Amino acid sequence: MISLNDLWPPTYLSLRIALAATAITTLLAVPLAFILARRRFAGQTILEAALTLPLVLPPTVVGFVLILCFGRRGWIGHWLDRWFDYTLVFRFEGAVLAAAVVAFPLLYLPAKAAFAAVERDFEDTARLSGASGLQVFWHVSLPMARRGIVSGLTLCFARALGEFGATIMVFGWQSGRITLPISIYTDYVNDDFAHATAAVLTLSAISVATIAFYNRWSAGHLAK
Amino acid sequence: MRALFVTLLAIVSSFAARAAEPVNVAAAISMRESLREIGKLYEQQTGQAVTFTFGASGQLMAQIRNGASIDAFISAAAKQIDDLDKAKLIDPATRRDVAGNELVLIVPSDDVTSPNGIRLLTSPAFKRLAIGEPKTVPAGQYAEQTIAKLGLAEKLAGRIVYGANVRQVLDYVARGEVSAGIVYRSDVVDSNRKARPVIIFTENVHEPIRYPAAVIAPSKHADAARAFLDYLGSDRAIAVFTAHGFTRPPRAEPVPANK
Repeated sequence: MISLNDLWPPTYLSLRIALAATAITTLLAVPLAFILARRRFAGQTILEAALTLPLVLPPTVVGFVLILCFGRRGWIGHWLDRWFDYTLVFRFEGAVLAAAVVAFPLLYLPAKAAFAAVERDFEDTARLSGASGLQVFWHVSLPMARRGIVSGLTLCFARALGEFGATIMVFGWQSGRITLPISIYTDYVNDDFAHATAAVLTLSAISVATIAFYNRWSAGHLAK
Repeated sequence: MRALFVTLLAIVSSFAARAAEPVNVAAAISMRESLREIGKLYEQQTGQAVTFTFGASGQLMAQIRNGASIDAFISAAAKQIDDLDKAKLIDPATRRDVAGNELVLIVPSDDVTSPNGIRLLTSPAFKRLAIGEPKTVPAGQYAEQTIAKLGLAEKLAGRIVYGANVRQVLDYVARGEVSAGIVYRSDVVDSNRKARPVIIFTENVHEPIRYPAAVIAPSKHADAARAFLDYLGSDRAIAVFTAHGFTRPPRAEPVPANK
């Protein structure tokens, strides 16, 4: 018999990871999308390609690169370990980082498209009226691009919630601390199909709800 | 033209006659290096090729249950073979133990500061312990028994990371991602000195480690599979196992409950 007590801890953990990953992605992807939609500079093409890469790379490649960088013996990881006695691997923060990297393009791309679609005249008018760059961004560009950004946020959250490949490499398979997608895999490995089915239904329900919100929002029912 | 055709046919048929189909053996991943070595010896001696599928014994058992074309199975614990026996998926007459092993607590080789012995697991520098996932990985099953028997379960709660097989546990330790891990003594021999043992657990803290093997019941190559399992008991094969840190199989195989 599948009890809610089994299902809730992985669901709760996955929701927390996905929310944290979405928050971090928002803080980075939205300003970056704005800058890259407005400015031209050397190396821009390479930077844009790098930001979109997690969309097409297998998550295992993302996980592998994260381990190379943040593993305890990794390029950055060994400094973190030496200076702060800290390592991302097997930690909540590690799972958040993995989910954030994989979900990043799903917010970045629509946000950039939305900023690019904002009429420059509005921004110029605001600037002529004496608004600073930050004020223009906050009071003009951001509100006008909100539809694309919120669509991106929902996709980003849904992707982060379902992240498996990079997460299993960085967060691993821990006793009593397991995300919903990882629990589906381990149930499959352990031949526990009933439990896997319950987890699949839970994850699907949350994802369907998120996508339904996305569809209604991007169709404009909620946007106005 | 005709002569050419006959010659070609002769060449093709000689290949077909010589290339007996390989025997597919599924085996516990802790035996990877030793079995590859023994497989080569066996092919040199008999001309019979052996291919291997390595993994956690529980995963291999599930694959066999789901109809993977495997001719023989070598598990790292009796449980998986017992389960297959109950499902009538092995030939019980071919069952035998091919090796034994010991369970060890390991730390990364370059870790020279951690205290030796079981104190390691309660020292301030200790963070995480890797063990095999107990349901599918026999080494994890033995590790869990050991942790319970030594009364460490509470102290280690929230600090245990699972490996999908025993070699992943070894890898976590070798890369320094965890402070320590529980693997087989033979894994340390095959680890290229990236991990060192700090304790060899005595057998009274876990059930004896045995590697039972049997021919899979619906195998098409049952005779060839049985011949290979017989070879695993030869002096040459035992010498390879011993060189890789395996022990002789423990005595007194407990009678399976269904007999």
